[in-house]
Amino acid sequence: MNQKVFPATGTFFLLTMLVWLLLFFPTAASAAQSQPAVQTAWWVWEIALFVFCFFLGIVAVIGGVGGGVLFVPIVSSFFPFHIDFVRGAGLLVALSGALSAGSPLLKKGLANLKLALSMALIASISSIGGAMVGLAMPENVVQLSLGATILGISVIMLLSKNSAYPDISEPDTLSKILHIYGIYYDEQLQKDVSWQIHRTPIGLLLFIVIGFMAGMFGLGAGWANVPVFNLVLGVPLRVSVATSIFVLSVNDTAAAWVYLHKGAVLPLIAVPSIAGMMLGTKIGARLLTKVHTRVVRRLVIALLAAAGLRALLKGFGI
Amino acid sequence: MKEQLHASRVQLTYATVLSWTSTLGIIFVVAGYLVYVFQLLPAAVTPAEIAMQWHLRASEFHKAVPVPSGWDWVSQLGRGDVLSYASVVYLSSVTMICLAVIIPLFIKEKDRIYTIITILQVLVLVFAATGIISGGH
Repeated sequence: MNQKVFPATGTFFLLTMLVWLLLFFPTAASAAQSQPAVQTAWWVWEIALFVFCFFLGIVAVIGGVGGGVLFVPIVSSFFPFHIDFVRGAGLLVALSGALSAGSPLLKKGLANLKLALSMALIASISSIGGAMVGLAMPENVVQLSLGATILGISVIMLLSKNSAYPDISEPDTLSKILHIYGIYYDEQLQKDVSWQIHRTPIGLLLFIVIGFMAGMFGLGAGWANVPVFNLVLGVPLRVSVATSIFVLSVNDTAAAWVYLHKGAVLPLIAVPSIAGMMLGTKIGARLLTKVHTRVVRRLVIALLAAAGLRALLKGFGI
Repeated sequence: MKEQLHASRVQLTYATVLSWTSTLGIIFVVAGYLVYVFQLLPAAVTPAEIAMQWHLRASEFHKAVPVPSGWDWVSQLGRGDVLSYASVVYLSSVTMICLAVIIPLFIKEKDRIYTIITILQVLVLVFAATGIISGGH
């Protein structure tokens, strides 16, 4: 247990400091949105963004959340970039994370191609719509809706109780037509686990909403994909997490193209974010066994809530 | 390798293509960025000029700074800023490549439902990539 003290204390202070900054320094961040940061050299922002995303990557893995959902509200609070570019970068951060994680999950049979393709088709269409709407909305409306969404995500994360192995007695007709079922080797149980799903039409409807929100705010949608797969459709938790990553790669690709065409992607912002976040998630995965993940998860939720509140205040012009 | 028994042939092919294309994508993105920021190739807009305006909305930003967007960079690949942008475009195309590769496999397996779903999915992504709906270049 002593091994856990140092990293846990460090992470605790880092997160507490971020929450405190988000809540009590709103004016500094809003000032950055309205005027150019001529006084600071561009490369200082680049390095700061890389380092910031590196720590965000560590925290995201330990807290069990996707980096994308933390990236947009927090980076738009601390950095001088317009939220259009932050959302564009957020989509690419989530996309590159999903692309690099996807292959081993598919090979192991944890991510299910047929389940993902069925849901991603409809969700990717709505994510294009969400991106179009999001980029057309006035900035204060974006901040208000982002704030409300992030606060909602914090509540979902706090309250949702996942089910590792949901028991589905009878699959629904649509899932039978689409041949959505599977079997995977569960390392914890050390045996094969077969699964099937129900409530497919409800799941499809929910994925329309998820895709729209992901496109609108440039958020990775793991926070919503996983509960819908697991709690609504009845997919085992491991398969839900893995398949969510696959769905995310399709949805974010669709939305990213809208951001690219609308000129809302700047490599100068996106690339340090991607590199920092990817490096951070690798380190975070190594630290996973050395810290109290439950404590960190609660702090990450507090951090998200503070970022949501901060975005709401910005939306109200406070 | 007991786990691999549960992944279908189509899924394994997708995973293999994804592994190669995404690794290449990350390498491209980082290399393109380094070429740009260290100005190893000439660029129409320097990072400092971008930083002066990155607080603006995307639409206003593009009126002030001639950086690439959509497909308008294709004829200018020798520029550092364009190379960096092109690498991001490639990363955004990885999923399309992987999906396109598995269509013939679904056809071969006579899986009509997933042949149609995958073709539709590729069409949706191609539609987004053309910029028709988003007023792209």
